[in-house]
Amino acid sequence: MDAKLDMFEDVSTSPTYSLEGDMSIPGRRTTTKPTENGVPDYNTLDEPISETVLRDIRAVGVKFYHVLYPKEKSSLLRDWDLWGPLVLCTFMATVLQGSYSADSMADNGPEFAQVFVIVWIGAAVVTLNSKLLGGNISFFQSVCVLGYCLTPVAIALIVCRVILLAQTTRLLFFLRFVTTTVGFAWATYASFVFLGQSQPPHRKPLAVYPIFLFFFVISWLVLSHN
Amino acid sequence: METPTADDLLQFRDYSTTSATNSGSGQPAQINVNSPTHSLGASGSGGSSASFGGNSAQRQRGDPLADLIYDMSKSAQTFGGGSGGGGGNQNSGLDGAEGVATGGRLSFLTIEYYQQFFNVDTYMVMERIVNSMIPKRAAGNYLRMNIGENPDLYGPFWITVTLIFSIAISGNIANYLHQANDGYQWHYNFHLVSYAATCIFLYANILPAILWALFKYSLKPVDESDAVETDSATYTPSLLSLMCIYGYSLAIYIPVSILWVINISLLQWLLVITAALLSGTVLIAILTPALRNSQYSLFLIIGILGAHIVLAAGFLLYFFHSPDVPLSAKTSTTTSAPVAAAAAVKVASDALKNLVPANKTR
Repeated sequence: MDAKLDMFEDVSTSPTYSLEGDMSIPGRRTTTKPTENGVPDYNTLDEPISETVLRDIRAVGVKFYHVLYPKEKSSLLRDWDLWGPLVLCTFMATVLQGSYSADSMADNGPEFAQVFVIVWIGAAVVTLNSKLLGGNISFFQSVCVLGYCLTPVAIALIVCRVILLAQTTRLLFFLRFVTTTVGFAWATYASFVFLGQSQPPHRKPLAVYPIFLFFFVISWLVLSHN
Repeated sequence: METPTADDLLQFRDYSTTSATNSGSGQPAQINVNSPTHSLGASGSGGSSASFGGNSAQRQRGDPLADLIYDMSKSAQTFGGGSGGGGGNQNSGLDGAEGVATGGRLSFLTIEYYQQFFNVDTYMVMERIVNSMIPKRAAGNYLRMNIGENPDLYGPFWITVTLIFSIAISGNIANYLHQANDGYQWHYNFHLVSYAATCIFLYANILPAILWALFKYSLKPVDESDAVETDSATYTPSLLSLMCIYGYSLAIYIPVSILWVINISLLQWLLVITAALLSGTVLIAILTPALRNSQYSLFLIIGILGAHIVLAAGFLLYFFHSPDVPLSAKTSTTTSAPVAAAAAVKVASDALKNLVPANKTR
């Protein structure tokens, strides 16, 4: 009887089990073709950083596109991220903030922090409301949707800023008003497309109203900025 | 205590007294309809008994007719969809802490605990808003049967938030219109939002708390021999019910605040008086069952109406001040307090500087 405790000897002689192979999946794909979840199922440890970053940027860009043309909703809801809302919120808060000087004629617009608080706490409160009413959407999905739906409002802000470069007249104010209204309506419609299905049917208006109010307040901030 | 059958219930038997223990599911003579409740415990008593320590009335089931009416109205409510979080269980004198003792104890850290305060449908919210604007539209037992059984926080919270923003936005529009023809470059005043928010939240939260305490500790002494009256005579509304009522009563100021933009002083004051009277009357009418039981009922009525009128007048005077004052005073009222203070300091220091050279030349 062989006294050696060499357990692997038997196995190596067996023809059916082979212990060779490599740890990585054979046949590394060159194209970054993601699976359903947007996560590539190959080894991402070896790829260059630019590819990693670009993949996330591409995901964010796809979501922006879906907000502007709200037809397919799974990309925002399933793989949510908060990059878009952060970028939009920072941009809008930077543009909207008023200057603070001792002169009483200065623009008493909202501070940077105030816009930030309104956007994030507002999105959180609206989400909490829809969850309390019995909606079946997760917290971050809803915050993600509300943040991304700020895109039309941000575009309206850019257009208004451009219009403000000229001298203020009634016609130009009316133009700004129209632009802001269009942005607001677009944002509300887009968020309704994404979030509408997750509410219980007899409470849908109760859940939609806070979303309407949220975008209304932010559009008001955009309109009154000068 | 055995659970009676339907035949027993229909025979108007007396089931009172021995249920002195306040367990929700042990209540006899309940027409327990299987209405859907929102993920509460087995007995469902958690929801309906979540009155925050306010409902001290022990409902005696002495009078069979009153009991039948009560049970029928409860089951009608449950059929009406969206029953108050507990199918047909009454919350007779249950404290918030011990009310959930019978299984299904919900921690206040879960979201289901708070869902019971949002157990309303669209039509219920609309119904409550309309009831708060038109006096006498609500039934006599509105406070106890409708709001008391299903107080919701959705209405008060979103009505106050809407009111804050509508007052701030209308205030800014009103300022803009006042000064549009002066060639004055209009600047947006964002601080109005913070002031409006503070003011309204204090009113909608502190005042119900004060009222709740006053109701609780000023009950008229009750003659114990009068068994039928005891139940309604010792009724005080719960804190949640009061906050709900007050929240909904602010709903009338939302369209009024939009109308305040119109710059005619007479119209504005007319609106103040009308709105305050309407919602004040509604408040008094709804709170009548509780006011009857209080020793200071007259003072309470005056206090409630007074607070309402002061709130409305305060809104008008602070946010929509009428344009009879000269331009410099106008700009000082529209800017925020610190900026105004800084401007005042600058003016004072300028005056001081002018004074000193004048003294030197002498």
